[in-house]
This record gives sequence, structure tokens and C-alpha cells, in this order.
Amino acid sequence: MRWKPSSANRTVLFCLLAALLGPREGVADYAYVTNQSSSDLSVIDLERMKEIRRIPVPGMPAGVAVSQKLGAFFTVSPDSKTIRRFGLADANPQVERQLDGGPIGIAVDDRRRRIFVSDWYNARVWVLAADDLSLTATLNTGSAPAGLAISPDGRWLATADRDSHQMSIFDADTLALRHRITVGERPFGLAFAPDGRVFSADVGSNTVTAVDPESGRVLGRAKTGERPYGIAFATDRGFVTNQYGDSVTVFDARTYAEVGVIDVGGYPEGIDTTADGARIAVANWDTNTLSIIDAKSLEVVGEIATGDGPRAFGLFLTTDMPKE
Amino acid sequence: MRRLPTILLTFLLFLPAIAFAHGPTRQKLSLAVDVKAAPAEVWAVIGNFQDMSWHPAVFKSTGTGDNAIDATRVLTLGKEGGPTISEQLYKYDATKMTYSYRITEVDVAVLPVTNYSSHLTVTPTASGGSHIEWRGAFYRGYPNNDPPENLNDAAAIAAVTAVYKAGLDALEAKFGK
Repeated sequence: MRWKPSSANRTVLFCLLAALLGPREGVADYAYVTNQSSSDLSVIDLERMKEIRRIPVPGMPAGVAVSQKLGAFFTVSPDSKTIRRFGLADANPQVERQLDGGPIGIAVDDRRRRIFVSDWYNARVWVLAADDLSLTATLNTGSAPAGLAISPDGRWLATADRDSHQMSIFDADTLALRHRITVGERPFGLAFAPDGRVFSADVGSNTVTAVDPESGRVLGRAKTGERPYGIAFATDRGFVTNQYGDSVTVFDARTYAEVGVIDVGGYPEGIDTTADGARIAVANWDTNTLSIIDAKSLEVVGEIATGDGPRAFGLFLTTDMPKE
Repeated sequence: MRRLPTILLTFLLFLPAIAFAHGPTRQKLSLAVDVKAAPAEVWAVIGNFQDMSWHPAVFKSTGTGDNAIDATRVLTLGKEGGPTISEQLYKYDATKMTYSYRITEVDVAVLPVTNYSSHLTVTPTASGGSHIEWRGAFYRGYPNNDPPENLNDAAAIAAVTAVYKAGLDALEAKFGK
């Protein structure tokens, strides 16, 4: 029987135990990968390196956000403009809501039980209640917002406003706009490092731009391959998917110097780190696979088949245990 | 009164900044054909980025940079003075017999796609012949919401399918079934 965290206290206790005991035992990592072309979602067990469930998600889903704390995952289908909430353990659909415009990216603020969804066509972000997906507010961004994320400490919401070449920073609590920061050309994906800095992947300039959300200052830039898309972090390193390079660029998150380039599948997009920081998962849109990278050795240690056209645009990994 | 928005829209479509915008869902397409000729023989014909004369729709191809990364070519379609497609090479591997390129400029009236990238690959078949695969990734021609019928996802897929099919049919005729 696997140990399953069911409350915050037990999670803290578990983390302490895990830290004391070293490598985790009995906890696996799971990936929730949106397959845009086949309109479904693959649940993948990263320990056994195989797909364990396939869930229909109509409307060609791209955006995804998993929240262990809320026991739910959320998907965005841009074609049908539909947001859905599913139970994490049973993968059953619970609520769905249709929006107008062009919903694409999604992020969860589990502290305040809020969902943020970017509107690609109307320079705004929808704020929805996580429980019933009811609309509670809209925020104005720059043109064509795509990626968005909540800071690890829960203070900030950041959006990548692609066609304005900027990042918008909002106070996640009051929802007030704090900064608009010019980054590289056409930022699409965006992610917070564990230390609180936020990074945009700039599709047009082949760079990653690091920003301090508090001051709104640009802190540094890293070079990437062709068409950087998503970013993840592990062991003081940044990992960026290069859509046109079929590769992942690894850079030192402190010096911004390149550490290496890893070949993955075709057209890599969504990228995320396992809870223990040991592995990185990359969704390869063209080759229909999930590449698993060892964050230390920088080697690809596995490649798992997915549905057609995996995007996994968002935070798509969790350690919770879905039923098969 | 209904004219004005259409004119504005047409104008907006040709602004350079708008060329980067795209629809919500990237499409992918893969067509392939098996031919009798050996891979080396096929690659000798289709492996030069600067020569696309093997495709029946291409009247002329001019370019710079040979088969080096970032090489460019401009394809003239149909006849002298016909519509053009500008393309750039971003991957080339003669050993693996594959190259990848993207369209840097095309009028959506010519090919109703944006953000188009493509791969052409030759691999050996069990019988000593060649498997020729042509793959593409692209968005529809209309970058905004609610596309007109001639610029929607289905139109983009149909147009690229027609281009690939014409090319592969010609190769099949040339290299034998």
C-alpha cells in the first residue's frame, strides 16, 4: 500500500521524513499530459515509465494545471474554449465552463482557490473560482497573453504577454497590476524558479529573460536554441524546450551561462520538474512522446508514448496517486 | 458600411507584427510514399535545399547559403512572375538524409498557413527502396478568432496536403512504385 498524503500536516511530516530518509520510497511521480491532436489526456506513471490512463478531453486541449492541494487538475481546450476541472485521484470530470475569446494558458493559486486563464485574443486574464469555475474577475494584460504562473510563495501572478514583448506582474492577493516589464521578443512560456525569480522563454529572440517580480527589474538573460517554449528548474539549473531544435537547453540559473544541450523528441513543448527535483519531463508534440531527463547527469533516461500532439502547457507533474 | 472593416482587416493582415500571431491550435501533417529507387538515388534529387525542381508546382528556386543552416530560398510557383514562398533551412543532415525548413514569408492567399515548419526525410525500406516522408507543422492562415472558411484549420490542412501529395506523386512517378 502506498502512502498517500491527505492533509497539509501529513505532507509536512512526510517531507521531513523524506528529507531524513533520502531517496523517496513509495511515492511515484505522475504526469498529466494534454494531447491536443487526439483531444485527450495521458496519465503517465514516471516510475514505471508508462501511460496508465487515457481520459477524453474534447476541444483539443493545450493548457493544463495540476494541483495536489486541491486534489484536482484543470485543462484548457482552445478550440471549444472550454475549461474543465477533473478529480486528481479518479480523473473524473467535475465541472466545465465555456468562455469566449481565446483561452490558452492556466495556473492555479491553491492558497486562494483561484484559477487564472489567459485570453490569447483579448489581452486579459480570467480569474475563476477553483471550485465551480465561476468567473470572479478579469485582469488586463499586454497583447496575446500565453503562459502564466504563480510564484512559489504565492505573492505574484506573472503573465507572458507575447505580442507586447513583456511580462505583467500582478499582486496575487489583491490582483492589482504591479509591473509591466519588457523582456525578449515574443515571450510565450513562463516559469518561476524556486528562489522566486520569474523567467520568460522568448520565442522571437531565442532567449530566456530573468525578472525580479518584486522590483520589476530584468536580472539577466540566457541564450537558448531555436524557438524556446517552456522552462523548468532543478538543482540551480534552468531547462528550456527548443521547439525548432528538438532539444532542451540547460543553463546555470545563477550565471545564465549555458551548461549543455540535450536532444529530445520532435517539437518539445511543455516541461516540468518532479517534486524531488531529480527528473525533468518534456512533452514532444511532433513525436508523441514524453522524454524523461535526469536533472543531474542531463541524460534522457526514458521516453514514453503519449496520445497525439502532446502539449502539456503548464505545470503537469504531481506525486499524488491516481487510480488505474 | 460593412466594407470598411474588411479593408482594415486586410491591411492588418499584412502588417509585419501580425505575421507572428497565430490561431489557437497547431496542426500537424505527415504524408509518405515508398518508391523503388535506393535512398542515395532519391536523396541526390531531393536533398539539395537549393533545388526544388522535383516538385511540379515549383517553377523556379533561387537562394543563398547552399545547404548550410540559415540558407534561404525563394520558390516561384507556376510560371515566371508567379506567387512566391520564402523559406529558410534550420536543420540539415545528409547522413540521416533529412532536412528541416520553415516558411519566412508567404501570402495566405497562396498558402493559407502561418508559422509553418517542415521536414523532408528519406529512409531505407526492407526491400532496398526508399521511404520518403514529408511532415509539416503549421497554424491556420487566419490568426484571430472565428476564421473565415478559406483561412480556417481545415483549409490549412487541405492546402498543405495538396502540396505534399503533388510532390510525393511526382517522386513516385520518377522513382517507381
